[in-house]
Amino acid sequence: MTRSIIDPITRIEGHLRVEMEVEQGVVTDAWVSGGCFRGMELVVQNRTPQDAAQIVQRICGVCPVSHAHASSIAAEKAYGITISNNARLVRNLIEGAQFLHSHILWFYNLCALDYVNPLDALNANVPDTYDLAQAAGTSMDTDFYGLKEKLEAFAANGQLSIFSGNWFDCDNGEGYKLSPELNLICTAHYLEALKMQARASEVAALLGGKMPHVMTLIPGGTAFVPTESKLDDLWAMVNEIYDWVSTTMIQDTLALAPAYTDVLTFGKGCGRYIAWGVFEGPGWPYGGNYTEQMIHRYLPMGVLDEELNVSDVQEPLITEYMGHSWYKGDGTYESPYFVTEPEFTEYNVEDRYSWVKCPAYDGKPMEAGGFARILAAYQRNVPFVVEQVDAMLVALGARPGQLSVLQNTLGRTASRQIETLYIAGLMKEWTQELMEAIAGGDSEYFKEPLTTTGEGTGFWEAPRGALYHSEKVTNNNVDGYQIIIPSTWNLAPMNADGVHGPMEQALIGCPVQDVEMPINALRTVHSFDPCTACAVHITEPATGKTFKTVTSPWGVK
Amino acid sequence: MEDLAKTTDVFSVLESRGVSRRSFMKLCAGVAAAAGLSQMAIPRVAEAIEKSVIGATSGDLYPVIWIEGASCTGCTESFAQIETPDVATVVLDVISLNYSETLSAAAGWSVEEAKAQTIEAGNYILIYEGAVLKAWGGNALRVAGEVGTEALIEAAESANAVVAVGSCAVNGGWCAAHPNPSNAMGVEQFLAEEGIKTPVVNIPGCPVNPEWIMSVLVDVVMLQDPGLLKLNDFAMPAGLFNQTVHDNCERRGHFENGEFVYEFGSEEEAKGYCLYPLGCRGPQTHSPCGVTLWNNRRSWCVQAGSPCIGCCEANPNNPGDNWVQVNAPFYKRFRDLRVGDLHFQPEPVAWVLTGIVAAALVVHGFGMKKTGRMDGGADFEPIRKWDEAHPEQSIGVYADPKTGGPVLDPAICEENTQHAAAAADEVVNDYEKE
Repeated sequence: MTRSIIDPITRIEGHLRVEMEVEQGVVTDAWVSGGCFRGMELVVQNRTPQDAAQIVQRICGVCPVSHAHASSIAAEKAYGITISNNARLVRNLIEGAQFLHSHILWFYNLCALDYVNPLDALNANVPDTYDLAQAAGTSMDTDFYGLKEKLEAFAANGQLSIFSGNWFDCDNGEGYKLSPELNLICTAHYLEALKMQARASEVAALLGGKMPHVMTLIPGGTAFVPTESKLDDLWAMVNEIYDWVSTTMIQDTLALAPAYTDVLTFGKGCGRYIAWGVFEGPGWPYGGNYTEQMIHRYLPMGVLDEELNVSDVQEPLITEYMGHSWYKGDGTYESPYFVTEPEFTEYNVEDRYSWVKCPAYDGKPMEAGGFARILAAYQRNVPFVVEQVDAMLVALGARPGQLSVLQNTLGRTASRQIETLYIAGLMKEWTQELMEAIAGGDSEYFKEPLTTTGEGTGFWEAPRGALYHSEKVTNNNVDGYQIIIPSTWNLAPMNADGVHGPMEQALIGCPVQDVEMPINALRTVHSFDPCTACAVHITEPATGKTFKTVTSPWGVK
Repeated sequence: MEDLAKTTDVFSVLESRGVSRRSFMKLCAGVAAAAGLSQMAIPRVAEAIEKSVIGATSGDLYPVIWIEGASCTGCTESFAQIETPDVATVVLDVISLNYSETLSAAAGWSVEEAKAQTIEAGNYILIYEGAVLKAWGGNALRVAGEVGTEALIEAAESANAVVAVGSCAVNGGWCAAHPNPSNAMGVEQFLAEEGIKTPVVNIPGCPVNPEWIMSVLVDVVMLQDPGLLKLNDFAMPAGLFNQTVHDNCERRGHFENGEFVYEFGSEEEAKGYCLYPLGCRGPQTHSPCGVTLWNNRRSWCVQAGSPCIGCCEANPNNPGDNWVQVNAPFYKRFRDLRVGDLHFQPEPVAWVLTGIVAAALVVHGFGMKKTGRMDGGADFEPIRKWDEAHPEQSIGVYADPKTGGPVLDPAICEENTQHAAAAADEVVNDYEKE
């Protein structure tokens, strides 16, 4: 029995530690620990919902738009506002730009270095590289000769910069399995992706002022009013991104998959999924029926059980447990509001070991994320998703509809490329729709609140999965705020019954050859695209209020 | 002439490495401007950069450790959006980024090892992102089995300089906002408490703008002459942070004309009017956002229709003066304006700024009706042309409605300062009725 520890996990957002028990080359037990506490919910207490929407964005620099969005939806539900159609389109576009930014960055610049060795690209034969790229149908925008020369100059200098201390020679030199030619192609795309993720952020900046932390997404709609020249720029940029995404991401995934078929054999996790849905749908506004609204989102809401049967979310079934996290007590708390007080004890995997709390749906751990959304969309018969998932299954040698083939580390990684392509296409549709709406005379972007007192919940999605913001507002003053973040679901510690969280479950069973460089564990962690800054949250009542109950102090909704 | 010849060599070296002449020139000019140098200094800047590029005569890349404290990774993210030069050029051709939790290929002990080796070798720069958390003996932030504050001390002690990027690193940022649950503070204050003498450069912003980081990196790291970098009393680059957003705002003309947006997404917004009544913190926020712009110079907050919410406001010596605390509620006027608390402008600039802020207070933001002139300050119109032509609709308060003139009644000034928000609402209501 050996302990294998990865701390810090790099190429993620935030501070994460993974500790594993390894027996005979396989992980038999695992503990995931989120390392940072900041206390966002406390900071937004006693502020206005408008301010809260701006402040909560700062939870995460990778998915700020989603937090502003979910917070704005919560405020709009509390205030009885239905945003205008133009505001819906502008907000979908800002959110979509962030998803594209996040997914491109995650796949090529964070996750791919678990599979791609850029230093081995030095050994590539360039003409063969061109042949391979052509055969794989992937983009050849980069001058492979020039890139190889650039890498040679880099290597000759001797300093490894971001490649310092890399694991490229792990597993006795067999951990990285791509040919030098494919490594050169993927390195080219690593560099192209850096530019393209920035282009996607530029779309968010065009509509939101700047990115990270957009400025125009506010409760009531949007502060951004499109001009003709902005729309022209938007149209050019969404096309540029679509063209790149559609010629690289799925092609590259399928090109590297044959070398890593073993990664299809581990990392399933808990096998239950949640998605709250994202990108408001075309039949807006669904007569105020929240469930209909969520089902008709472009990526719809869905709760999936072990057999992947889909059902609708019920808010009171969401709970959080604190007994293994650094908070006082060991109660289980129900949504939407509950009381938790931070208290660091010590890092002890037998007791408390994380700043992340343990959420459950209907008492069970659930996986959130791009994979969960794709499965929910598939089960809800979103045509584009069904078609692409079936095509990917066939490419991997499975039958259409055989979703279990994707329930593993590589499947979780690959499915996000389908989502990226879907959103890249939708960006073009929404831009066209917005231009037509404006040409047709629509000019409403913002609505003032009808009331300044109420309660509301924003069910939404961040790139990393199901996102929940809930707030209680009295006279434009927030006096209860609760956030449950996708990575909180995924990085959850053990629950009260000793059942591991989704990522812990996914790690158990991972083959580990070298406990000092457990590459398959790292691949599994990255497949979730974890975000620990997001994951750590607490709630506390506003000063002067007294509630020590385990459920909502304002009663169950 | 000699400089010119050298510059040409620099270009050829860089071009062979895929850095375009255009992007290189932009970089050099930006650096020179940020350092307060004249255009004549650009060749010297160029030469210094050239020397730090791979394969150039003096060789090596400058080692950089980038530590994320209590961060949202937004500043790393923002850095990754840099376009001139792009981020790949920066991390492969300009610096050796030996430790970055977001970008490093290595993980776990190997990446910690890379950091330890860099610290041991010395002669590196530390970039710190996020707040310093002191709660629970520093355990509010744990990395690699140790508390975050220890990691900062270890890396800062031997660094040539510490660059605190983003408002959280400067003074705790939003983490330090009431009730500051994790006991957050900025890097400069923390290091001073620990008795660590390494110089700190503060670059505020939520997030930091990548162009600001780049200009500081080049000044401090490559020119190896921090003296070129003029810092103000907050240890912020003076070339970047001594003017307000309002000074350089593209909508400033509408402010002068008294043309304002009163509701988000309105017809006035479509015309690009001034966002002052919606709470814009441009007049009191020191930052060059309207000059450098954001995301490949695509846009910025005001251009997109949002008032400035003052995210660059950060007093490094006081976490309580974080931008959230100082500026919330963001979309209301003047809740927390600190008149006279302008710490670091050279005197003439301070006078001008004080003039603007005081004038704005007096008239509650409906056009700058400041009259006369102040010693060492700029000229102001005695009375706005528009107001002169529309005396019945004039929204300013003049000593004399015909000839203008400042409001000098100290009682009124005092009252306005104390009850600015309420008074402003009143004026807004009156104006809207009209």
